[in-house]
Amino acid sequence: MSKLVVLQPTKQPSISLLPSALSDFNGTKLCQIQYKRKVWQPKGALQVAASSTKKILVMGGTRFIGIFLSRLLVKEGHQVTLFTRGKAPIAQQLPGEPDSEYSDFKSKILHLKGDRKDFEFVKSSLSAEGFDVVYDINGREADEVEPILDALPNLEQYIYCSSAGVYLKSDLLPHCEIDAVDPKSRHKGKLNTENLLASRGVNWTSLRPVYIYGPLNYNPVEEWFFHRLKAGRPIPIPNSGVQITQLGHVKDLAKAFIQVLGNEKASKQVFNISGEKYVTFDGLAKACAKAAGFPEPEIVHYNPKEFDFGKKKAFPFRDQHFFASIEKAKHVLGWEPEFDLVEGLADSYNLDFGRGTYRKEADFSTDDMILGKSLVLQS
Amino acid sequence: MAALASSSSSLLFSSPPSKLPSPSLYPLPRLSLSTSSFLSSSLSISPSFFAYPTSSRRYSAPSFTVKASAGEKKKVLIVNTNSGGHAVIGFYFAKELLGSGHEVTILTVGDEGSDKMKKPPFNRFSEIVSAGGKTVWGDPADVGKVVAGATFDVVLDNNGKDLDTVRPVVDWARSSGVNQFLYISSAGIYKPTDEPPHVEGDVVKADAGHVGVEKYIAEIFSSWAIFRPQYMIGSGNNKDCEEWFFDRIVRKRPVPIPGSGMQLTNIAHVRDLSSMLTLAVENPEAASSNIFNCVSDRAVTLDGMARLCAEAAGLPVEIVHYDPKAVGIDAKKAFPFRNMHFYSEPRAAKDILGWNGTTNLPEDLKERFEEYVKIGRDKKPMQFELDDKILESLKFAVAV
Repeated sequence: MSKLVVLQPTKQPSISLLPSALSDFNGTKLCQIQYKRKVWQPKGALQVAASSTKKILVMGGTRFIGIFLSRLLVKEGHQVTLFTRGKAPIAQQLPGEPDSEYSDFKSKILHLKGDRKDFEFVKSSLSAEGFDVVYDINGREADEVEPILDALPNLEQYIYCSSAGVYLKSDLLPHCEIDAVDPKSRHKGKLNTENLLASRGVNWTSLRPVYIYGPLNYNPVEEWFFHRLKAGRPIPIPNSGVQITQLGHVKDLAKAFIQVLGNEKASKQVFNISGEKYVTFDGLAKACAKAAGFPEPEIVHYNPKEFDFGKKKAFPFRDQHFFASIEKAKHVLGWEPEFDLVEGLADSYNLDFGRGTYRKEADFSTDDMILGKSLVLQS
Repeated sequence: MAALASSSSSLLFSSPPSKLPSPSLYPLPRLSLSTSSFLSSSLSISPSFFAYPTSSRRYSAPSFTVKASAGEKKKVLIVNTNSGGHAVIGFYFAKELLGSGHEVTILTVGDEGSDKMKKPPFNRFSEIVSAGGKTVWGDPADVGKVVAGATFDVVLDNNGKDLDTVRPVVDWARSSGVNQFLYISSAGIYKPTDEPPHVEGDVVKADAGHVGVEKYIAEIFSSWAIFRPQYMIGSGNNKDCEEWFFDRIVRKRPVPIPGSGMQLTNIAHVRDLSSMLTLAVENPEAASSNIFNCVSDRAVTLDGMARLCAEAAGLPVEIVHYDPKAVGIDAKKAFPFRNMHFYSEPRAAKDILGWNGTTNLPEDLKERFEEYVKIGRDKKPMQFELDDKILESLKFAVAV
């Protein structure tokens, strides 16, 4: 598109290739998505220049974030190895991905097959190979990281996918990187990992996403809404529906992962990475409908305390305000999200659910409990 | 690199085409606005930092600090309202400017002898005078006469909510050679949204009085900045804020909050607003043609505010939620904050002015509570008619 060409700054062109790379995954319906906002790089930030090819190890990389990230890395000219158990194919062609691009990626991506919980194997296989940079996309516990660090004493950078779930719940929002974290949270493994990295003297960077969405999402975030919209069902939302959450598109997250690579400003830093704006639960239901071309949904509020859902989750989000400021990443890295919420949901719908693909079958059992009770109350 | 002290540098900051008033203030829906700003920045001449973000996109290189007129002392006129939540802004701003060596005149609407002047911050105007500032009173429509022909570099209108009130001030300022016009608008003009927070550039309510004022200022002045505040705390406040919670907490009364209590709002210490305004005065080129949400950098839930007030007071709190419609009362009368998310973020100030918020509600509320007790308000007899009506409807027994 001409405006991208016009806006080539005199700075590192390799980063500016990203928008076009990402646009490969857009279906034809998405012509209204304009890569309108150029990524501004702060002066002095070390950029990934095409000449500094790195030998990169991705822990994971075949499920969601890593699928997009690994493609960007390969496009940047790096040698990329995915460490996985091999349960999912190392490469699969994505909807909207041109054949030539896919075959190029497939021919270049490497696989190191193993179980990262097998610490001895991790240590020996990694030290045999040697890597410049590790992207740890699927690490959950600190002990998983130690063998990697032990195996790679000259590691240039350890880039970790953490989570905004580490923040301590607060009446004061948004969550910022300087805020208190919760050592007892469900995500304490992520926190322990960050602390371990900080204590080991390695050059590390940690990204904390909020809720990630986009095509191939295996967490039923947008999919949960799409199932109900497609079935023409009301959307049951707990309590008031004004709880505020935040979604970040996987492609924007992948871009952030690229922008911290070899970036001095990212050294030993944590960054929240998510969408520019937040959204209420009610608003999210409406945004999903808008993105997928469904009529505005009927929303039914309920008090979750009045029900026993057993082990089932009646709603995919934590029932509280949960959102984080991305201003640090914007200021320090010059990163910014490309996707608005509706645009991003449309991208997800058009490349995934709207084509008939999804990860979890629809399960309306908790909905029926809620709706059944509300029908009874009405009569 | 970025220190632009010479007059030739002002060319680099002369508004690129995208900074015409209407696109900046009232942008087209996001996609097309961004396109137009994109193209205009592509037309600009190198160097690359000339393609500075417009008010709708605020990504400044962090090393970029604009201090074009740092060190220059200004003559500032503050036209200040004589009542309400915004009154205290002019008081802090005046004192901060005087502390930085600027000359300040504060014109308060009305008469010096009126009853309104017996309330804070007006009853503390001696602090402005002893710091070297001038205090005058009068009708803003006659501002030229009221200031007896004095001239100023900067005018802040912290008074008018509609064009009829502000226009005479703007016109006089222009004709008397004022360089920079600043205006206290309101974040209340943002259209409610499902996607908080309100950020600068978001759609505003077309029929809001402040909107007409903002447009007019942008037409008349080339160096202007608009500030949209929300709620404030701070000594000298003319309107109750935290006191509403303290009144109930110290008397061991339940705190009735409409709706779920999850509504987010922004309550800033007024010193944060003052520092933002001061940065605009001292960096007019950077501030020019921009809207700034004049708020702290954290939002708080309504329940959260009640909890924080109680913690500051060292007392327990019982929060009670109610539906105003079901009770049959006007929430606006019963509760001092909007019964909805009212949440903006100060992104432009951080990006463009390098402003940082210092509001720390847990700490600031302690100080507020100390003053609350010091003036004896905790012992003051009070009626809670609307509270009682709410509690009665919820069948809540209150110990007398």
